[in-house]
Amino acid sequence: MGTTTEHQAPQPALSVRDLSLHFGGITVLDGVSFDAPQGGILGLVGPNGAGKTSLFNCISGHYQPSSGSILVEGTETVRVPAWRMAKLGLARTFQHPALRLDASVLENVMLGAHSWMPGGPVSWALRLPPTRRREREARATALQLLEQTGLGWAAAMPADELSHGLHKGVELCRALLSRPRLLLLDEPAAGLSHGEVEQLIGTVRAVRRDFDLTVVVVEHHMGLISALTDRVVVLDHGAKLMEGTAAQAQSDPRVVEAYLGKEVAR
Amino acid sequence: MNTFFASRPRRIAGLVVLAVVLVLAPLVSSPYINYQLSSIAVFAVAILGLNIVMGYTGQVSLGQSAFLGLGAYIAAYGVLHDWPPVLSLVLCAVIPAVVGMLVALAAARLRGLALAMITLALPIVGVPLARRLTDLTGGSQGRVVSWLRAPEATGLANDQWRYYVVVVIAVVAFALAHNLVRGRIGRSFAIVKENEAVALSMGVSPYRTKVLAFTIASLLGGVSGFMYLAVVQYTSPETLTFFTSINLVAAMVIGGSASIVGTALGAAYYVLVPVLAGQVNSSRTALISGAILLAVLFLLPAGLVSLPRRLASLLRRRPQPAAGAPTPDDATHRAPASSTATTE
Repeated sequence: MGTTTEHQAPQPALSVRDLSLHFGGITVLDGVSFDAPQGGILGLVGPNGAGKTSLFNCISGHYQPSSGSILVEGTETVRVPAWRMAKLGLARTFQHPALRLDASVLENVMLGAHSWMPGGPVSWALRLPPTRRREREARATALQLLEQTGLGWAAAMPADELSHGLHKGVELCRALLSRPRLLLLDEPAAGLSHGEVEQLIGTVRAVRRDFDLTVVVVEHHMGLISALTDRVVVLDHGAKLMEGTAAQAQSDPRVVEAYLGKEVAR
Repeated sequence: MNTFFASRPRRIAGLVVLAVVLVLAPLVSSPYINYQLSSIAVFAVAILGLNIVMGYTGQVSLGQSAFLGLGAYIAAYGVLHDWPPVLSLVLCAVIPAVVGMLVALAAARLRGLALAMITLALPIVGVPLARRLTDLTGGSQGRVVSWLRAPEATGLANDQWRYYVVVVIAVVAFALAHNLVRGRIGRSFAIVKENEAVALSMGVSPYRTKVLAFTIASLLGGVSGFMYLAVVQYTSPETLTFFTSINLVAAMVIGGSASIVGTALGAAYYVLVPVLAGQVNSSRTALISGAILLAVLFLLPAGLVSLPRRLASLLRRRPQPAAGAPTPDDATHRAPASSTATTE
């Protein structure tokens, strides 16, 4: 991990302030506030239904929060449409990696270049030389990313010939190709084998360092949270329960109670 | 398709053969055959547009015939007012594209059945409109034209000349569409079809992408209308009926959804199957066409374009694509997966 984790930039990569989300009469998020410091790995944990993924969806613009504010590197993004978030340096993965199974792994990753690749329908229909050059550049970067995450061998294969665990790796490469500064990982370990989780921890650490990223990760897998994160924010019933290191969280009676119920906590 | 034409030299050789056939075919064929071949080019462009919006982008459109009809009427209006054909062609592209875009700006917020209904409304409204606007359309009688005659200098017959005109337009349209569906725009179409949440997270606006796809489909529909008038020399409200739209959708699926080659095959199916069925038994054309449709879809669910792949897999008879069996070389690449990133 080294020294970079201790480095605290003055401006957090992500700052969530008093965020609330209501669906009709149901309160999904209730005044949640936290910061994700530059270059760190922040864990969002909590029992099922705590609102972790909803919080993610608010940050990535897929949901419109009812109130509160979200700052990505100081820029207010609550009113920014989701598809513009990639340009602001935000990328995310999904619980269930949605790849185009009929397309090659490389083609799937190439989608990540969409936000920074220039050219509208006319220049692409005509395949003008600058357009072709940018496509080649993006292709080279995509291949390099696949190599870096140990998936170079699969580049030309159709995505449906890979396992679920490898799909997560492909999805990560796709997100990285969009040149994010803030990366949201939604349950990256879900459905992975023990060995694959170990690999994932190595990969996330490596890309965090190599790409100078801030990472926010939603996860149930406590082993991964302990091994990976600098800090965790624990959510329960849509509100922040506590914030601290993974070890603090695991020994906090309120967290134990939220996960396992009152009897055990006592 | 992917297997045989995967290598570049083979692909180029295939294109050269295709070009030679396309150039020579009208010179050795009867006017009747040329008419059929020209019709394939016409409907290939209409189906191409449909494939962009439905096959590649996954948005239902049952209104393609309205744009075909609109293009044909614009071209007929141009003939009546002695426009140069190039001007007609440009307007046959631009006006339907603008109309299609305006419809899509409203309709692209909808999906599924609601979207199908809106697009269905276009031919439903279009037919009576074409009957009423007699000054522009010639009403129920339609418009008969005598247009695009072969220039003396070429020494070609009219059917040959018109064949070349529509085939050149079709080839250009196919080349541009082929470029478009690969690369940045093609990937945005594909992800909107696959998963809109992922599209959003990767910087693709599903709404804008759908509007773009509808606009391109309408543009190609209009161009095919120009070609239709060039070949048929006649248009009427019948051109844009809803049944044409449905048949175009069926032809697209039969040829191969999200496939450029499949589009051409679908057009050949659209034109030739009714002709062939009519020769078998002229009173049972619809029945025979329907039986062929079912047979193709049953045997080749991915369309005619998947026939070579299907045959190859039958011939090879390998058990199942062995996904988990990498070569020794692959294994060495895979093993250090967790640490490779640290080598940078």
